[in-house]
Amino acid sequence: MNNTSWLAYIALTAAIVVVPPLLIGFIRKTKARLQNRVGAPYHQPLLDLIKLLSKGELVSEHASWVLRGAAIANVSIALLLAVTSPWIPGMPRPFDVDIFLFIYLFALMRFFSVLSALDTASPFGGFAAGRDLTLAVLVEPAVMLCLTALAVVAQTANLSEIFSFTGKALSVQAGLWVMAGCGLYLSSLVELSRMPADDPTTHLELTMVHEAMILENSGPNLALTEYATALKLLVLMGVSGQCFLHAFAAVWQTSPSMQTACGAGAVLLAVAVTALIEATGVKLRWTKLPEFIAYAITFGLLCLVVALGVVK
Amino acid sequence: MSLSSFDLLLSAIAITAIMMLGTTNIGTNLRLYALHSLLIAAATAWLGQTRHEPALFLVAAIFALVKAGFVPWFLNSIIRQVGGHSDSGAFIPTALSMPVGIALLGANNVLAQRLPTVINGDGGNIGETFALSLITTGMLLMLTRNIAVNQVIGFLVIENGIYLFSQTQTQGMPMALEMGILLDLLVAVMIAGILLFRIKKNFEHIDISKLTELKD
Repeated sequence: MNNTSWLAYIALTAAIVVVPPLLIGFIRKTKARLQNRVGAPYHQPLLDLIKLLSKGELVSEHASWVLRGAAIANVSIALLLAVTSPWIPGMPRPFDVDIFLFIYLFALMRFFSVLSALDTASPFGGFAAGRDLTLAVLVEPAVMLCLTALAVVAQTANLSEIFSFTGKALSVQAGLWVMAGCGLYLSSLVELSRMPADDPTTHLELTMVHEAMILENSGPNLALTEYATALKLLVLMGVSGQCFLHAFAAVWQTSPSMQTACGAGAVLLAVAVTALIEATGVKLRWTKLPEFIAYAITFGLLCLVVALGVVK
Repeated sequence: MSLSSFDLLLSAIAITAIMMLGTTNIGTNLRLYALHSLLIAAATAWLGQTRHEPALFLVAAIFALVKAGFVPWFLNSIIRQVGGHSDSGAFIPTALSMPVGIALLGANNVLAQRLPTVINGDGGNIGETFALSLITTGMLLMLTRNIAVNQVIGFLVIENGIYLFSQTQTQGMPMALEMGILLDLLVAVMIAGILLFRIKKNFEHIDISKLTELKD
């Protein structure tokens, strides 16, 4: 291993530790500015995490080791995803990740969240787990279709290879990339429990989904859970942002460092759009959500139609 | 096979039409229709550029003015006067009708492979696919929606599909014919508006799922 790749690994580690909470702070700040508030500083979520880690915790007497174990498992899976999946161009790859591994690592995270929500035997955890799984069932086909369509055109299931700017077959498919980007972005909004699907700031029992699942966590456990959510935000916003980046032919002809800069810009832009949706939009009624997710599935199906046309 | 920039514009037109299937909110539908018509006007102007026909720019401008400006505004004002049926139902759930629209898009692609292409260059098979898909999408809109305004929107989408088909598959129609069709359309939308008022007056709603019994 040479010097530059060591530097790249150090930069990646630093980015994975620092950037996800900063992105959450960026969303909150943008939202606050759009609502004419000053808002907390960008690094506030980072400080919150440090404070939570040093706090004591209160665990329900009905809870078992599963509550703690699920939080740790979630953080580990999220870290694995952040290290391996291509959320920014030109990042070092210790090993490659398959599209199916990518999708099912997210499903595994969801499994552990649901497990920890059910473990404390609180009614809130129970109904939130049910709602979360309902959304998961609806949103998974969309992610699957988008990524599979890309994989079919690229003739490889290796996610890093698909997003590597080197595949000749994919680099001319601007339309496919835009459609896949739209589909992945809409489904990541649901996956991340962001605004149209779930309000991350609400604590009203009628509307909570993700918040009710982590209600029983406190102290270090809550810090781990929130950090895992922030990592998930980084990975999903990164991957869907990259899709739009790939649609611009000019980007894949520039130098690798320029690509990395554009990738960082794409992540920020995707997060900023999320903040914009949250500041201006409203949470959808629960019965309207399948209609919202249908848009994501529609983009997935359109990707599939294009991919079938290309391969034939 | 890869899509050219013009094909991408055409696909955006077809996608906005399929998006219209995904919502029963008439305001959103009209906004999508305006965007959809604006994209068709852009495609017309594009053809005018590539075929060196300045007349097409004028057609595009009038098209945008009438279909992206006047028609949505007129239908919106009618909706406001007839009563706020902002959220109407559909016979097929909207979440299902979008995949049906895409399935029809695929079927149209198969159909377009069998149809002879009249001209080479821009359009061709892909143009046929998207134009035919607009026609089927419009039919789906007309057939599956409860509120009578959606039938007008569906009709307009079908009309756009026929227009797109004629633009991409021929060397262009005479200018007078284009203007005549636009005028026809304007009159048709106005008559539909008056009809909506009459239906509202006679039945006190414009929900066609309830128009099953005869009345004096």
